[in-house]
Amino acid sequence: MPSSTVGQTPSLSTYLKSLKHNDIETSIELFISLLKRRQIRNSRSCAIATISLLLRVVGEVRTRDAQQLIERIRAVGRRLVAAQPREMAVGNIVRRVLENIREVAERDQDPAESDGSITTPSTPPVPGETKQRPALRTKFSEFSPLHGAATLPQDMNARAPLSASSGDSSPAIAGMAETALQRPPLMSSNTSFAPQGPAGSSLFSILQHPQGRSPFATPPAGAQSPALRALPAKGDEGPTSEKLDIKAEVITAIQDLQRELEEVDDEISEFAQDHIHNNEIILTHTSSQTVQSFLMKAASKKRKFTVFHTEAYPNNHLETHDTIVNGSGGGSAEDADERWKPLTSMGITVILIPDSAVFALMSRINKVILAPHTVLANGSLIAAAGSSTIAQAAKTHRVPVVVLSGVFKLSPVYPFDTDELIEYGDPGKVVPFQEGEFMDKVDVVNPVYDFVDAELIDLYITNLGGHAPSYLYRIVADHYRVEDIDLSGGKGEAGGAVKAG
Amino acid sequence: MSEPTKAPEAAQLAEEAKLSPAELKKRAKAEKQARRAAQKGEPGATGVPVPATNGTHEAPKPPKQSGPQEQKAQGSQQKGPPQQKQKQGVQEGKHERTGSIQQPLPTRGMPALAGPVKEVQRKDKKQVELFSHLYTQSRRQDIAGASKNVHPSVVALGFQMSSYEICGSSARCVAMLVAFKEVVQTYVTPSEVSLARDLTSRHLSPQIDFLRSCRPISESMGNAIRWLKKTIVEIDPRTPEQEAKDYLCDEIDRFVRERITVTDQAIAASASALIKDGSVVLTYAKSSIVEKTILQAHANGTRFRVMAVDSRPLFEGKSLATSLMHAGLQVEYLPFSGIAYAVKEATLVLLGAHSMLSNGRLQSRVGTAALAMQAHKADIPVIVCCESVKFSGKVALDSIVLNEVAPSEELLLPKATVSHAPALDRKDDDDEDRQVRSLHDWRDIPGLQILNLMYDVTPAEYIRMVICEYGNVPPSSVPVVHRLANEGIM
Repeated sequence: MPSSTVGQTPSLSTYLKSLKHNDIETSIELFISLLKRRQIRNSRSCAIATISLLLRVVGEVRTRDAQQLIERIRAVGRRLVAAQPREMAVGNIVRRVLENIREVAERDQDPAESDGSITTPSTPPVPGETKQRPALRTKFSEFSPLHGAATLPQDMNARAPLSASSGDSSPAIAGMAETALQRPPLMSSNTSFAPQGPAGSSLFSILQHPQGRSPFATPPAGAQSPALRALPAKGDEGPTSEKLDIKAEVITAIQDLQRELEEVDDEISEFAQDHIHNNEIILTHTSSQTVQSFLMKAASKKRKFTVFHTEAYPNNHLETHDTIVNGSGGGSAEDADERWKPLTSMGITVILIPDSAVFALMSRINKVILAPHTVLANGSLIAAAGSSTIAQAAKTHRVPVVVLSGVFKLSPVYPFDTDELIEYGDPGKVVPFQEGEFMDKVDVVNPVYDFVDAELIDLYITNLGGHAPSYLYRIVADHYRVEDIDLSGGKGEAGGAVKAG
Repeated sequence: MSEPTKAPEAAQLAEEAKLSPAELKKRAKAEKQARRAAQKGEPGATGVPVPATNGTHEAPKPPKQSGPQEQKAQGSQQKGPPQQKQKQGVQEGKHERTGSIQQPLPTRGMPALAGPVKEVQRKDKKQVELFSHLYTQSRRQDIAGASKNVHPSVVALGFQMSSYEICGSSARCVAMLVAFKEVVQTYVTPSEVSLARDLTSRHLSPQIDFLRSCRPISESMGNAIRWLKKTIVEIDPRTPEQEAKDYLCDEIDRFVRERITVTDQAIAASASALIKDGSVVLTYAKSSIVEKTILQAHANGTRFRVMAVDSRPLFEGKSLATSLMHAGLQVEYLPFSGIAYAVKEATLVLLGAHSMLSNGRLQSRVGTAALAMQAHKADIPVIVCCESVKFSGKVALDSIVLNEVAPSEELLLPKATVSHAPALDRKDDDDEDRQVRSLHDWRDIPGLQILNLMYDVTPAEYIRMVICEYGNVPPSSVPVVHRLANEGIM
């Protein structure tokens, strides 16, 4: 491994340093091996590494063609996701980048199309088949592979004819294809960044363009994207002069995404005041940086509360102890230049308890705050082991459970088989391998994650604000494209793959 | 009594700013007299003249503060006038500080007070407030302060209990009774006193107190002690001493045999019938009765496997897993975080008890309630195996009122574990603000507490059945069995 730092365990920081002077293929291989060996562990680290890698990949791509760029990213993403399928943050970032590329491409295809009425096919929205509300059509998240898979092949192939013929195709196919074509209003991922278009035109658009745009799907704070559906196939037409911009725009978008990753904790902490009052007793689990900064923010606003901190033995207890005693900074960012002060230094009482005491104390807890590893499309979580017990106990005692997670942790995957999503860790952490006979005859199991059902969660706080679990599918719709959920094969390939990418 | 004095005091308030020594002296004398009168009227009462002025100044402050101040004031008041003058001087200097400007004595007392108050606060902060009622007696670390009557075997037993060598309520009960046999044998009845009356109060009580100071006694021990005292009292005073002592020892043997040993066998036989071929038995920590049940089922030839869940800091589940492993069973061992995984596969949950409470709840090792809850949600039957000697007349609604708090140090990991790699990169180790501390420094960190609970209470609705020597009963029958077995009322 061409790592220049001698004697240091490979990790996120060494990887980021090596990215600067390695070629692309090496970097990809390096990242894959880090993922496979679990030397790069939690969601945030993986996301940061992935985005840095993809930035380089995009930077090095020679083509101006958006479609080829997409293919390249998909290929890389496929390999990364295959290296460690349970690290969903990797796949999430890949899909976010793909979404950005598609959106940039679409925007460049129709630069003047902010209000132009488009050829669009049909017709006034057919109720029940309305193109404006794909998300409401099925019970599953519209991005469930079943739904997406069924339309996938038609999508890709139907797009060109549709645009060409100005879509006289039957509403059914058009409707379904529209689902894919219909770009979920370009939101959140870019809100904090360069606003994309006339912000105030959303309602106006109902009157002007019944098809294609879906004001109903506008998330609360939304600016509508100007560009539209029914586009000519990407990359086929369009002025060549626009292509120059694509790569640069994509790079800008990726850098915006990077910034989002860095700022996610701060943005989530902004909501701390709304949820924590004086004299509260809060329960938290593991050494999550996000939770610590959330609580620190509340503490800095002069709220005096108590925190019961479970230690998450055996996978996270050392980091938890470190976080409680020394403050954050030792977790995901090993070389973080800031070590935050611990909560206790802000005058907050922190009580360390073993995981087993959760039920005993739950009757006195006012609020539970958790940070997940991944959030799934239906609002359920994969979180550190022990979270399921905590959430169940909270439900029993009617204690609200608040989950803090950046949008990058939100995965379009629907949990069909929850067992597959759980990772099992090193049994040596439970029983040291020196105890040979014990290890030999007794089966030691150390699950690293727990699945927490959406019903047990009361509130999600993401960098976009607070949401009920039932709203998450909408955020998924805003940030990912249906065609990106399955990263396998190429376009047009039998997308019958039921497995989510 | 305080009201009439408030008015003149209020007037004095206005004059106070003048700071003439003569007036101060006069005021001090008046206050002193009033205080003396107050002392005679209500010793140790709050309010009253000088404290009343205290009150006017410190109305917003909690009355508690004036409490210790007055007591100090009343204490120092008796020292005499010369001190008062000094205090006045001090008082003038500390004019702004306390607000108790008109009261020289408390001001003088304040610095002395500041010490103990602060220390008490610092010490209190290491105790979790919710459980402050459980911190009353810290565990004994050595033999200092023990009564001279404590029998050596009881001393040994006490330390074995506090170091968890003997852990588990049945084991502790039996060990205690065995030690008491020796205690009884060494007892010598003094003249003019009968064994029946004297043994309990003079000889047995110090032993019990010593044991209690090592570790709070369990419910089974409590029931056994009550039974023993009853037996002693019922001894005919005319029996010769040795015969009485032998009788007591035999009775103790009988108690242990009937209520623990034979009972365990009966419960094991009954509960092992619940384990069928292909069962997956889930258990938590180490219960001797559950262990016997499992071994009995294994001896019966049933083919099943066991999942043992464990928790910090005692790791009792590991010793259970080890002993089952040696017996040839197929065992799976999980940390507490693996409960969600465990309930996916388990078909039966067997739990031991510290005690069964009269409202049907189970008091057992901390973590049992969480396991029972998960099992209940997964529709797995939860069976408790519990001898009647552990049944209790107490009731509890939560795990906070009846509990035991163990020393926090037990939760600390041994020091020589991980060396934080990041620490090597840090050049600011010298910087005291960013000193990397470990959990072992928890006492020095203000606001940090460590809570080490020993028990929790599992709601009755999670428990399907309780197996005791009287049969298989639902949790709601616990008070009836308790009456029958422990109080002897049919």
